[in-house]
Amino acid sequence: MAWLSLIAAGLFETAGVLSINRLNRERNAKSLLLLVGAFGASFILLAYAMEFFPMSTAYAIWTGIGASGGALAGMWIYGESKDWRRILFILMILGAAVGLKLVE
Amino acid sequence: MKDWGKIIVASVFEVGWVIGLKHAESAMEWLGTAAAIWVSFYLMIVASRTLPVGTAYAVFVGLGAAGTVIAEIILFSVAVNPAKLILITVLLTGVIGLKFVTDEGGENEWHGSH
Repeated sequence: MAWLSLIAAGLFETAGVLSINRLNRERNAKSLLLLVGAFGASFILLAYAMEFFPMSTAYAIWTGIGASGGALAGMWIYGESKDWRRILFILMILGAAVGLKLVE
Repeated sequence: MKDWGKIIVASVFEVGWVIGLKHAESAMEWLGTAAAIWVSFYLMIVASRTLPVGTAYAVFVGLGAAGTVIAEIILFSVAVNPAKLILITVLLTGVIGLKFVTDEGGENEWHGSH
């Protein structure tokens, strides 16, 4: 359950990033509700997972899944740039962010 | 304020609520933490109207992570670890690089239907 909740937390964060895309296109209550619901579920699952993992490890895995998932989904679903330099720089940022959480 | 400026300010508020989640005790401190969460997400979302969401979110998360480490070193006298400094350098290089590839080639700009 620990791993399952942590992975689900990351996937809900990805859904949250996707719903930012949706909110930017369709600025209505439903989009806002999806956004708040996805991030809300993500935070609750993350808090639950933190009972089983050290806080920094949980946070690193959550960020890694959520932000890279959000970037990939943005490219595939919303046509964001697939320029290799963009992908490289995003990988540098997220790799370093995950690393910073793990060495803490 | 331009979109990149908004993300930087959003990250400062992110550092605020990460510290708040760890250290807040009184009702006022928790209220401040909640307000910081709201402000940081609001600014990041507004910035993503003109920047690709994947870019805005990665920079937001990255600067927040780097900022939190720096804040812990300055405010809570956590030891400076060389590995952390290297990672922060890589992270900031990625942010600056991303800013250049986003501002330059027009094909990196937002393609959405308006």
